[in-house]
Amino acid sequence: MKSYKEIEKKYKPVEIAESYVFPNDSDPSQRAQSLEIFQNWRRNNESNRTIKSKLITNLLQLKFVMEDYIMQKEYKEDYDFSYFLTQYIDRLEIKRKEFAQEIDVNPTELSQIINRHRFPNEKFIIRLEVHSNKNFPAVIWFKVIEKGRIFHLQNDSRLRLSESRHVKSKLDFTF
Amino acid sequence: MYIQDINTGEKIEVVIELISSRDLREIKKDSNFIFDWAKYTDKEVYKLRIFQEDKIQGLMCIIDHLDENTDAIEIELLEVGDENVGKKKRFDRIAGTLIAFACRESLKRGHEGYIFLTPKTKLIDHYNSKYYLSFIGPIGNNPVGVMVGEEKVARKLIKEYLE
Repeated sequence: MKSYKEIEKKYKPVEIAESYVFPNDSDPSQRAQSLEIFQNWRRNNESNRTIKSKLITNLLQLKFVMEDYIMQKEYKEDYDFSYFLTQYIDRLEIKRKEFAQEIDVNPTELSQIINRHRFPNEKFIIRLEVHSNKNFPAVIWFKVIEKGRIFHLQNDSRLRLSESRHVKSKLDFTF
Repeated sequence: MYIQDINTGEKIEVVIELISSRDLREIKKDSNFIFDWAKYTDKEVYKLRIFQEDKIQGLMCIIDHLDENTDAIEIELLEVGDENVGKKKRFDRIAGTLIAFACRESLKRGHEGYIFLTPKTKLIDHYNSKYYLSFIGPIGNNPVGVMVGEEKVARKLIKEYLE
């Protein structure tokens, strides 16, 4: 392993900064002090943050969780459309009735979607896109729904059995 | 997210993912990386590679500080493969993409975009101009301070490097 001094001989500081972050190899007490510097700054910075800034970080967190969930192979029962929609509304800190008014949806319809008694249609998810000022595109909501549907389609053995009874003939080979 | 071929300007799609023990064995044999990454086996280390290629272009170790006072991601170590350091480099944006990824993880894990790293003194201005990190000076006997970023820096880096 080369030291910083050896790297410094070979490259300019700007080139080093574009390529490395070096480990903090100071002793434990100095390391603790570095952490203290950060903690003090963070505390001061936090006291100056606006409500809007806090809302933005809350919504960004939700969006990144959704994006990563869509990309990963694993299906999570809890991470369905209803869960993410509830999170979206809660993070806005508005009542569901108020949110229903904002997107011009009957509060009963919103309640049914949140309680998983009804699937959202395309109009609904487009309204979510518009409401979020495109920060949550319709596609991200659609992909969450799609992921759940794919999982259930693949794993619904009862439906598979009942529908098989309707198929009178089938191919006699598999690929 | 992409890195850029300096000669052609071509944007090349990349992925960032957790490193495997097999990767660590390969890195040990690879003269492209000069740090001893085997020391970071038990830590959270990410690799950046070109989509549909195995070759690692950059590595980053982060520490997730969960305690209430810190509540942030620390970039403990970052290294771009030697082929892409200095005048000879072919690809640009590797380190920036990794730092932006650390910012995204900070937001995703509820740390509100807060990140920090310990700089070498001569690199402070460059980390600031390149990655918008601010320097918070030393206290007590500590010879160095820390470079910090918060929500606005995180959003800026994510927009610049990950979108």
